[in-house]
Amino acid sequence: MIKKFDKKDEESGSGSNPFQHLEKSAVLQEARIFNETPINPRRCLHILTKIIYLLNQGEHFGTTEATEAFFAMTRLFQSNDQTLRRMCYLTIKEMANISEDVIIVTSSLTKDMTGKEDVYRGPAIRALCRITDTTMLQAIERYMKQAIVDKVPSVSSSALVSSLHMVKMSYDVVKRWVNEAQEAASSDNIMVQYHALGLLYHLRKNDRLAVSKMLNKFTKSGLKSPFAYCMLIRIASRLLEETEGGHDSPLFDFIESCLRNKHEMVVYEAASAIVHMPNCTARELAPAVSVLQLFCSSPKAALRYAAVRTLNKVAMKHPSAVTACNLDLENLITDSNRSIATLAITTLLKTGSESSVDRLMKQISSFVSEISDEFKVVVVQAISALCQKYPRKHSVMMNFLSNMLRDDGGFEYKRAIVDCIIGIIEENPESKETGLAHLCEFIEDCEHTVLATKILHLLGREGPRTPSPSKYIRFIFNRVVLESEAVRAAAVSALAKFGAQNDDLLPSVLVLMQRCMMDSDDEVRDRATFYMNVLQQKQKALNAAYIFNGLSVSIPGLEKSLHQYTLEPSEKPFDMKTVPLATTPITEQKTEMAPVASSKLPEKLAPSRQDIYQEQLAAIPEFQGLGPLFKSSEPVQLTEAETEYVVRCIKHTFANHMVFQFDCTNTLNDQLLQKVVVQMEPSEAYEVVQYVPAASLPYSQPGSCYCLVRLPEDDPTAVSCTFSCTMKYLVRDCDPNTGEPDDDGYDDEYVLEDLEVTVADHIQKVLKPNFAAAWEEVGDEFEKEETFALSSVRTLDEAVGNIISFLGMQPCERSDKVPENKNSHVLFLAGVFRGGHDVLVRSRLALADGVTMQVTVRSGEETVVDVILASVG
Amino acid sequence: MGLFDKLSLWLGLKKKEVNVLCLGLDNSGKTTIINQLKPSDSQAQDVVPTIGFSIEKFKTTSLSFTVFDMSGQGRYRNLWEHYYKEGQAIIFVIDSGDQLRMVVAKEELDTLLNHSDIMHRRIPILFFANKMDLRDAVSAVKVSQLLCLESIRDKPWHICASNAVKGEGLQEGVDWLQGTMAGLILLHQLLTHRDSVAVVISFALL
Repeated sequence: MIKKFDKKDEESGSGSNPFQHLEKSAVLQEARIFNETPINPRRCLHILTKIIYLLNQGEHFGTTEATEAFFAMTRLFQSNDQTLRRMCYLTIKEMANISEDVIIVTSSLTKDMTGKEDVYRGPAIRALCRITDTTMLQAIERYMKQAIVDKVPSVSSSALVSSLHMVKMSYDVVKRWVNEAQEAASSDNIMVQYHALGLLYHLRKNDRLAVSKMLNKFTKSGLKSPFAYCMLIRIASRLLEETEGGHDSPLFDFIESCLRNKHEMVVYEAASAIVHMPNCTARELAPAVSVLQLFCSSPKAALRYAAVRTLNKVAMKHPSAVTACNLDLENLITDSNRSIATLAITTLLKTGSESSVDRLMKQISSFVSEISDEFKVVVVQAISALCQKYPRKHSVMMNFLSNMLRDDGGFEYKRAIVDCIIGIIEENPESKETGLAHLCEFIEDCEHTVLATKILHLLGREGPRTPSPSKYIRFIFNRVVLESEAVRAAAVSALAKFGAQNDDLLPSVLVLMQRCMMDSDDEVRDRATFYMNVLQQKQKALNAAYIFNGLSVSIPGLEKSLHQYTLEPSEKPFDMKTVPLATTPITEQKTEMAPVASSKLPEKLAPSRQDIYQEQLAAIPEFQGLGPLFKSSEPVQLTEAETEYVVRCIKHTFANHMVFQFDCTNTLNDQLLQKVVVQMEPSEAYEVVQYVPAASLPYSQPGSCYCLVRLPEDDPTAVSCTFSCTMKYLVRDCDPNTGEPDDDGYDDEYVLEDLEVTVADHIQKVLKPNFAAAWEEVGDEFEKEETFALSSVRTLDEAVGNIISFLGMQPCERSDKVPENKNSHVLFLAGVFRGGHDVLVRSRLALADGVTMQVTVRSGEETVVDVILASVG
Repeated sequence: MGLFDKLSLWLGLKKKEVNVLCLGLDNSGKTTIINQLKPSDSQAQDVVPTIGFSIEKFKTTSLSFTVFDMSGQGRYRNLWEHYYKEGQAIIFVIDSGDQLRMVVAKEELDTLLNHSDIMHRRIPILFFANKMDLRDAVSAVKVSQLLCLESIRDKPWHICASNAVKGEGLQEGVDWLQGTMAGLILLHQLLTHRDSVAVVISFALL
């Protein structure tokens, strides 16, 4: 018998959801009992619960059925059952947006909110504010004002919070309640005070002066509520950030004084605010860090977690400030809460010395399997930061990472590890082989297509240059046999790179390619056929152009040009050179100390800045027929930041023209500028063709005017030029308040700073992943070489930086990083000159007394070589 | 309803509950009338225009009334019909000083009487010709003529002049309503629960 009972219990499901199989229509049918008299509160309550459950499950209620149920529910106001009434409030709030005519309950709710039953009043206010719109708000305004200053805390809090919600809807009405809110802010109840402060702040947040006045008042008078204090700290730190106030401002003093508050919550908030302030000095950090240090030994887990998490963040920016806490953090490594332990370890990794790394790594590996993926990613990021700091420790790290790679884990986690390993490989040439071996092992059993293709790409790039490239072939070909289409295609590309670079492997690669040509997928077959044919030619130039270095054009631009070409078919073949180049070449993702965000870079192919400009310029009739936009420079400021008119210039380079775009902003609110033109006086043989004025420039609305300049055709070496610029315009004075301008105006002008056009404006950066191949491809037909002495620079780093920014070309093969303790370096630069000619620069630098530089330039066009050398000299 | 409940009803210990709808144009004095009828300790100090509806309760000697005090404003009048099914009686308030809108009141009354939830029920209607103290107020007789009340034949109705602010004339109307309701309830019970009534009567005789 007992057994039978047990079984029954099991069936009815201990802890199973009694509402699991609810039918909406059945529930609505049941809701008819709301209409019965007398009301049965217990049954009605149960049905209301069911309705709310369905609503929360995302069940869709049609307007008619919702309205019907809602009106039936309104009858329950007859009953004086407390639970039922409060359930009604909940239902009203849930149905406020799906039922029609919800305002029918307005009077019933106002009656409850002003009534004698305190349990009804708060909830009634909240429900009322949900169903009220701007027009109805006036009608209940009086009650709201009374409720805000009510002596019952729950009523006052409800009114304040509801007002806060209504600020979004009807700011102007709620603004009139400031006095009441002010009164509530001096309440003895901590919640009321907090909510009142919140409302006051939101009413004033657009007025910086009012906010700082309010802060002043409350910081002087002091508050009871720790919540309100936390809020004040947040407001103060935001204000500090906005005003860029120095750390000697009274606001900072206030935040610092909160470090000595008696509530832990306030102390933590203050410490966290100080820590998160930009450009905080070590002296200012010290008290905040010491407070956090105290929290590290608190018996409360939440406090320990908060402290160690914040310290972890500090450690990224100011590792030295956290070193003082190292001892406390070491104690936390053994904390029973795994999240605390992880954060403690990663913080230590950031602050610790080289000698402690081994020990810490051992400790991490003891519990890494017990923590969640999210924290594992944190650990990996810490390790990757550590690798950059102590490159010599790479073997320990690499071992550790490969162990982690073998464990189970989600995509984010694996990606973090792979990124980290790739980062190490790029930083340390010695670690390359072990790293590649670990990655090869990983892709043997990898379910993430993105990671597999990424690694295959890396193998293709790095593998052929290792001492024994043949051992990678097996791993790569396994992919062709075993994996999905995307991975197979990537594997084929990688194989081709091996074949192109290693002559002794070529025959075997060709055999493998032949197999790939029988693949079931189009893309894989196409790639294999293409590479097969290229490889069979055995020409270095072809290999370089089609296997090592891919397209360097902007993808949206290519798409647009091809579309245009298909619309207007012509005899001429499609010319790649007419396609705008990609502005930011796809660089290898640098695993620099980029804080946490590095793994969250947007992966979407958004139209680049240049594509946007291209579109804008094409819309101006004067600039049609200039051809594709070649390059747009970074904006150059032509005025000081704080002047009457702020002007910045963007230089757009076309094949034979340049367009100067002047973005002007008028910062005088009593003036309207019209017919704004920037007049340019060139120093060289440049010819100004046309001005496009900005029709009108009202206060604080930026506008653009343009100037079209033809580049000198007879002297292609004249690439640099200085323009003196003057802004000319018609001023019309206007009323600062209404913006209404006077009828007549007068001409005026404003002298801007000179604008320089340099060689960098004519060259677009292009990344050649394999520089040597590209170098061979261009050939030495137009090679020129010259030697210069850079007497003013003292270090190789500085010289490299100067050359890159002067020529505006892309450093390849990571040659922009100068290894330490060396006195010679070779810098490889690649770019495309205006008109579509590839330019490659090899620059050998030697550090002696100053830097000596030998520049070798290659290009398909002689003038381009001359231009570069002439401009360097 | 259990025997004990019925018994206590009969013996007057517990009062029979009646749902009443209070209708009429805006500013006719519905809320004020209901407010006057409530016990003096729970009366509201100031009366504001009702939005939607509110539920009020008051008791007379033999009945307990639950009133749905509906808003009379134009945009809410179409919401009255949601509550017609509830009403066991209707109080219809007319502002007798507002002759201009008497036709509007008549129109609303006709719509009400022709509604499917009301038309075939023998539901008592009490008319208050309110604001009789106003100088240009028309008499209750004139109001009943203006509204063509004599054409209502299938429902018991009664009209009385009132001044809700002072409370004059209200008691007369409520007494009529109570009497009519009590009669209807008794009739209803005799028709439906003949047996149990017999038991109760014999109980009483014993």
